[in-house]
Amino acid sequence: MQIAGRRVAVVGMGGAFPDCANLAEFSDKLFSGKSLVREWGEAAAHGKNIRSTVSGYITEAEMGLEPIYSTLAENYPETYIDKLKRIPDANLSTADVGSIWSMLGSLDAIKMAGWTEAETQSGQTGVVIGSGGAGHVILRSAWHNFFELGKKTRAAGSHTVDRAMVYRDAANVSCLIKNKGVCESIGSACATGLGNIGYAYRLIRYGLQDRAIAGGVEGTSLETFIGFDAMQVLSRGFSPLESSRPFDVNRNGFVCSFGCGIVALEEYEMAKARGAHILGVIDNYFNNSDGDGNMFFPSFSGQKKLWEGLLDNSELRPDVVKVHGTSTPVGDAIELLSVVDVMGEKGYHISAPKSQFGHMLGAAGSVEFITALLMLQQQKVLPCLNAVTLNPELEAIQKTIGWKGPVKPLEAYRDLILQETISKEINRIVCLNYGFGGTNSAISVSRELL
Amino acid sequence: MERQEIIDGLVEILKTVRTIDPQKLNKVTEETDFIADLNTPSTEMINIAAKAEQKFDVEFDDDDIDNLGSKVKDIVDLILTVKERE
Repeated sequence: MQIAGRRVAVVGMGGAFPDCANLAEFSDKLFSGKSLVREWGEAAAHGKNIRSTVSGYITEAEMGLEPIYSTLAENYPETYIDKLKRIPDANLSTADVGSIWSMLGSLDAIKMAGWTEAETQSGQTGVVIGSGGAGHVILRSAWHNFFELGKKTRAAGSHTVDRAMVYRDAANVSCLIKNKGVCESIGSACATGLGNIGYAYRLIRYGLQDRAIAGGVEGTSLETFIGFDAMQVLSRGFSPLESSRPFDVNRNGFVCSFGCGIVALEEYEMAKARGAHILGVIDNYFNNSDGDGNMFFPSFSGQKKLWEGLLDNSELRPDVVKVHGTSTPVGDAIELLSVVDVMGEKGYHISAPKSQFGHMLGAAGSVEFITALLMLQQQKVLPCLNAVTLNPELEAIQKTIGWKGPVKPLEAYRDLILQETISKEINRIVCLNYGFGGTNSAISVSRELL
Repeated sequence: MERQEIIDGLVEILKTVRTIDPQKLNKVTEETDFIADLNTPSTEMINIAAKAEQKFDVEFDDDDIDNLGSKVKDIVDLILTVKERE
């Protein structure tokens, strides 16, 4: 049950971002309209066996990490060395790459938040971080050595469980920062990143915690990539920079990317009382399911109900809608129509940051939430790159009997979707993310008005 | 194989375990306790045993490992016993 007057502020952020050394470079590149999508040699090396070869990937070297390979198990990264000495070796020994990114992002978020050691280690501080996939990189070689090469279980060492378990990211962060509150992981496919932040928001809003480190992560993994590649849902046929093109009529799939987004949340009055810099105040979080039994296909009615739950009869409307906008043919059309159905044809802008870095899967919602915080900070709307031409024809769903949504083709909403960064007053942003299984998540975050 | 030769080999293995302070490896003797003296995380003990199997070309039984003590002499004894057994 919500506690009246208890609000939640965002006071810190950090993470791992493709082709960027840090959050500042990520911000600079985004607002200058750059794409972080690159040709991925690791995928291209598989020739005709792989369909898509572009990604917003992050290498170990780019994060200052060096893998130490086992002498007992083939191709098994036994542990990692942090060449920048940010994470102790004991913590590295229990972490896969995504968990290391989570720890790095958490340290940055806590530093920005300015929490004391006592606050960080309090029983009122929780950690809620999730990932879309398992610890695939660890599991693949550990299993290969046992099942295919016939080696003993001990050949892969004693850390395959902690480095691959479902909530490994949250567990590793908790062991690093030594918080004494909750430590959990929410999984909701491509809504995971936002789902974890939403859950952490509720922990604070409902009075169960005062602070939380929350977010999502998807460590670079060809094992993850090939699953989507097999589904024929990844973008192909464009140059890397043009591959992610939400809402463009020629879009043909998403760019499978990797990253990490972590935020520090704190009860608003406590944050104010200690003079924290408030990056944003969360107005509400809501999530629901389509309820149509379809694992993959997005639902117009499910998304409309998502908005109803988020707005909760409030008259407040966002200045920017940060959409899921994956660049898949079906998903973008339904999402744009549901946004227009709720928000109307003008008075706001749509931002689709996946156009700049692709789809980070379990990290998407949290990294894109960070882009929303950056938009509030900069008072600029991030562009939707490559949305060159919007469909002048009606979508198939608009031609179905009983359709009650917008009746104009997508090109009628051209003015909502800009291909360049613009400056404007932004007081509120709604972030939307959806995932396999028909799960939908939405959060509304506002600039602190002094 | 001499006992000191085995200890030297074990120290080389311990140097690859990043959770052990390298400075503690200067004075490793038969009486050194992996856990009490070197602060080796207990989860690393099986990794050390497995690397010892590889380095000294022996294969421990599960019972050998279950009954293994935490001192350097315990693993030296085991390696020599297994070599003789094989």
